[in-house]
Amino acid sequence: METLAIALLAFFAAGWFVLAGADIGTGMLLPRLGRSDRERRLVLASFAPFFLGNEVWLVATAGVLVGCFPALEGELLSAQVPVLVALLTGWIVRDAGLWSRGRGPGPRWRAACDGAVTCGSWAVALSWGWLLAALLTGRPYAPAAGPTGLLAALAVAALFAAHGLGFASLRLTGLPYERARRLVGHAGRPWQSFALTAVLMGGLPLWAGTALPLAERAAAPGTLALLVPALLCVTPLLVAVQAWIWHTFRHRVTRPSYL
Amino acid sequence: MKQDVLDLARLQFALTAGGHFLFVALTLGLATVVAVLQTKATLGRKPLDARMVRFWGQLYVINYAVGIVTGLVMEFQFGMAWSGLTHEAGNVLGASLAVETIVAFFVESTFLGLWIFGWNRLNRWAHLAAIWIVVLTAYLSAYWILVSNGFLNHPVGYGSEHGELVLDDPLAVLTNPSALLAFGHVLAGALLTAGFFMAGVSAYHLFRRSPEWEFFGRSLRIGVFLSAPALVAAAVFGGVQFAVLDSFQPMKSAVFSGQAAEIARVQAEMVERFGPGDYVPSEAWTRGGALLMLISFALMMYLCFAGVILASFKKVVLRFRFWHLVLMAAVPLPYLAMTSGWVFRESGRQPWVVYGLLKTEDAVSDLSPGTMRLSLAVFTTVFVLLAALNAWLLTRHARRGPVESGLGHDERPAEGAAEGGAPDPADALPAPRY
Repeated sequence: METLAIALLAFFAAGWFVLAGADIGTGMLLPRLGRSDRERRLVLASFAPFFLGNEVWLVATAGVLVGCFPALEGELLSAQVPVLVALLTGWIVRDAGLWSRGRGPGPRWRAACDGAVTCGSWAVALSWGWLLAALLTGRPYAPAAGPTGLLAALAVAALFAAHGLGFASLRLTGLPYERARRLVGHAGRPWQSFALTAVLMGGLPLWAGTALPLAERAAAPGTLALLVPALLCVTPLLVAVQAWIWHTFRHRVTRPSYL
Repeated sequence: MKQDVLDLARLQFALTAGGHFLFVALTLGLATVVAVLQTKATLGRKPLDARMVRFWGQLYVINYAVGIVTGLVMEFQFGMAWSGLTHEAGNVLGASLAVETIVAFFVESTFLGLWIFGWNRLNRWAHLAAIWIVVLTAYLSAYWILVSNGFLNHPVGYGSEHGELVLDDPLAVLTNPSALLAFGHVLAGALLTAGFFMAGVSAYHLFRRSPEWEFFGRSLRIGVFLSAPALVAAAVFGGVQFAVLDSFQPMKSAVFSGQAAEIARVQAEMVERFGPGDYVPSEAWTRGGALLMLISFALMMYLCFAGVILASFKKVVLRFRFWHLVLMAAVPLPYLAMTSGWVFRESGRQPWVVYGLLKTEDAVSDLSPGTMRLSLAVFTTVFVLLAALNAWLLTRHARRGPVESGLGHDERPAEGAAEGGAPDPADALPAPRY
């Protein structure tokens, strides 16, 4: 049961990095890809139908963590409070910007919301780098300090941005597309760059997870025996529904969406 | 030091949970209304119904979107500030939180995205199914959260191994009366909030003699006729909870009725059971919360009685401007009742975080006061800004009334046609024009 619980945790964490990493990366590059209000709206439309469904993968990861590894969750999260405060704040600022952009008045408001999306996306990516630095250096119970933390934060943020860029070049049209395409370079076809960053993004949390004593700190057998099968039954359905959404909105975006 | 951190962590939890709940209350109720309206619109295909779905749906989406981010903080907060809780009671509590995130919230968010962005794209029956799944999973979400909360208030179905709580009887945890009664109460309260909100917004437009009198006349009646039964249901579930309080949490009951002799007796009893300590919760918060809840309930009851009678006459609905003012002023009442009722429920069980098993002071994380202060300052600021943003956006869109742009606006004829333009005759997809 412990192994299955770890597999679930790995699945949701890797899923968040691959899926949400794409829309966060695109958000980081928003001012670079879209120069005008209309262009930026198009860039946002590239991930608009997906981002709500993407971010819940992290919520689910936290859910699996608290359900299957409760004591570890408490120790880990309480040790990383400063990192999580930054992560959550970035997440909130980004989402508030996305949702309010089209609802407020005038171009200034929209520009401010675009700024919130960009800053929030950077904050999320940098905080993840900071958190991963602590895990990868084998000291999960204290926030990473010094140059290690900083370098890891920048490297992870760069990976997020590269992943988002690949996503944008697969989804966009018009001028924003051409800008994305130029940034990707002519090293290969866009999907190759995206596939490479996706593998790296998916691998990151798995690598970081090896630093955690997951098998030893799992919940009591009685809890796992109920929880893990239930989650395993539901997960294929969740994946199927999300796949349906990706299929519905599979075409490149040519016009703005609700956001 | 420890006392500082405890107070700050409690303050943070109270502010963030209270803030989160303001959004939840309206979301849960309004989603139900929107789903029912959309069912009617899909079956009847009347343009007025479709416009109602889009207008109320827009307000629902604004409230949901700003509210969802407040929920993120809630989920991570258990581990961040209350690691003692996940350590001691995680085997029971963690499971229900996990199921909530994956079985309920994950599905809800996925389908909500489909509903918002799938307008004019999905087949209308698939679109209708999406909103109903959102509503049902929202209810499911509330249920699982209240299973967790019910366990904190009235722990059942657990055993103890190596000083840790373990899950013993899952069925008892799932059918915990403390969870089920609270679930019914919260659901009814959410519908009540949505009813008062709809009535208040509609009253504003009727007061202003809006040309949309048919739209808002009908919305006002929906609001009023929803509030009345919701209020009765909330009162019934609340009343039953009062009745079982004597056996579940005698101290809360004693503090509520303010009988010093009874408080002293329960205190002595608990010292005997759990060892020396102060087992009396803050009387000001507990009794104050209960009183405020009962007062707002009484006010709402008069408004609902009068409302049901007044709303039966069409002329009154459209022209009784004093009543319109009263309805606008009454929009905060359900919020007040829900928040104060929650203060009563949660402060009245102190000093316990898991009643009779784990004290709040033993559950708080081992954080430095500086870290806790930083986290409190950041989250309080963010929550205040979010609440202000939500109120501003809701007011803005509620005042604009039903317009062509926004939720459900068809972006397809983007070239040539101005915003709010005529429907595109070359529209190929058999999509609903909401």
